Amino acid sequence: MHIDAPLTIALPKGRIFDDTLPLLARTGIEPLDDPQTSRKLILETNRPQVKLVLIRASDVPTYVQYGAADLGVVGKDVLMEHGGEGLYEPLDLGIARCRLMVAGIPGAGLGPGRLRIATKFVHSAERHFAAQGKQVEIIKLYGSMELAPLVGLSDLIVDLVESGNTLKANGLVPLEHIADISARLVINKASWKTKHASVTALLEALRGAVAAA
Amino acid sequence: MDAERWLLPVGIEEILPPRAEAVEGLRRELLDLYRGWGYELVFPPFIDYLDSLLTGTGHDLDLQTFKLTDQVTGRMLGVRADMTPQVARIDAHELRREGPARLCYLGTVLRTRPDGFAGTRSPLQVGAEVYGHAGPESDVEILRLVMLTLGAAGIDSAYLDLGHVGIFRGLARQAGLSPEQETALFSVLQRKALPEIEALIATLGVAEPSASMLLALAELCGDDALERAAGILRAADPGVREALDYLRRVADELRGWLPEVPIHFDLAELRGYRYKTGVVFAAFVPGWGQEIARGGRYDDIGRVFGRARPAVGFSADLKDLLRHGAPAPAQAGGAVFAPWSTDAALQAEIVRLRRAGRRVVTELPGQAVTPAQLGCEERLVREDGLWILTPCD
Repeated sequence: MHIDAPLTIALPKGRIFDDTLPLLARTGIEPLDDPQTSRKLILETNRPQVKLVLIRASDVPTYVQYGAADLGVVGKDVLMEHGGEGLYEPLDLGIARCRLMVAGIPGAGLGPGRLRIATKFVHSAERHFAAQGKQVEIIKLYGSMELAPLVGLSDLIVDLVESGNTLKANGLVPLEHIADISARLVINKASWKTKHASVTALLEALRGAVAAA
Repeated sequence: MDAERWLLPVGIEEILPPRAEAVEGLRRELLDLYRGWGYELVFPPFIDYLDSLLTGTGHDLDLQTFKLTDQVTGRMLGVRADMTPQVARIDAHELRREGPARLCYLGTVLRTRPDGFAGTRSPLQVGAEVYGHAGPESDVEILRLVMLTLGAAGIDSAYLDLGHVGIFRGLARQAGLSPEQETALFSVLQRKALPEIEALIATLGVAEPSASMLLALAELCGDDALERAAGILRAADPGVREALDYLRRVADELRGWLPEVPIHFDLAELRGYRYKTGVVFAAFVPGWGQEIARGGRYDDIGRVFGRARPAVGFSADLKDLLRHGAPAPAQAGGAVFAPWSTDAALQAEIVRLRRAGRRVVTELPGQAVTPAQLGCEERLVREDGLWILTPCD
């Protein structure tokens, strides 16, 4: 892999970061500092041209769209909320897999009247119910969605489901499948054009790493 | 509330010294440049009937256009969000020239939402258009003007991104896609979302060779894209290959004029797909995530105004250009301070200096600031009955 232009890769902390590092390692990119112990937000790597920046998952599209980072890794759930405008998303990294689902107390959501949906994924939830011809009221929450139906804040929730254990522990069941989610490589449009050789070299190397994973 | 009266609306800015002078300097330089190339200046109105604004390039600007009701007719008015449809109307309905018409324009447009990174809602739009000529020659002329425009702003490291909407349009037609299917594919193609493109092509049941050609389109980019396209799109309809040939001619001729400008092709980049008919392009600068100038060919844009003619043009935001450029510094010689006096010799010297292009700031009686605080580098002092310039302390 030949990279001669400086490239900044935005990575969200947490699970995606942990799963992305092995893929990057397979392309020959490794952080110099131990990300577990370092408190740095910009990590240098063994490739002097490549830097990693650690940010919140929901900020990754913004960083990449505006070119503060050339590339980024972000869940499809975040991209669906953001709209993906101004970004290229050419590669499914196949990591951090989960499902975006409608969930609730068994039998919930069948009655008449306008449903209240608690979710962090406002746009995705709106689109999903609109496609079914249902007018719903969205209640934006930032976490612990499972609580909302239990305390009467909402009829249903829209949330990411991995194993389903959190739902089960709170007496909820998955009701409808909205989308399969996995992490995507996103690329800034201008970087794609002005650093084309380096960006595509990294893209191809990652594609190889994903295929080999 | 009162304490925040100074606050400006989101995306609206005041341009202060010295930037205002730089903006005005660039404005003059650009208009002189276009004039030298035979482009005639037009001033389209700031507000217009909405249905006339939302034509052609304006289609995509419905949400971006500020709207108000005309108290005279009851019709909807819009504040221009893009001047291109207005200039198209001027060509089609007012000028009605035979042969090519070259028009340029410069003015503030308003957008309802902050636009991208710069976050402005009031770009100072500058642009130029050629009407009445179909062919690579006028495309190349516009592209040369784009680079000269960037050069005037002091931007000398721009990349040109070239594409042609006829390639995707032809492939979609060849694959027998309905308008809805074409729109769906267009949307995932703009994001180069390969997994989704693949899934969509499979869902739509597109047959070979169309399926592989549409899939390959997303990655037909880079400086060698045309060479690769010749092989990959071998089985495409003649219209697609004509579009490729056309793009090659534009690029070849452009390289002759501007050998130092990096050209990047992206055959899946379809800015303004709905109204563009040929070459599309944008200019980028390294380190900035968004395009700084854009344009393309939109033949027949004037049809809704009664006269369909070939058209090609570009536009940019002058304030955006200035942000990325290093415009030539203001002409040498700082301001001159003149003391308050009705002395005829002093007044004559002031007139002489101003005629010579110097900036002369006269003292007002009772003022308590020094010449240096007024930004003056020199001052007029009387020595032996003569007014002469000496440096300020």
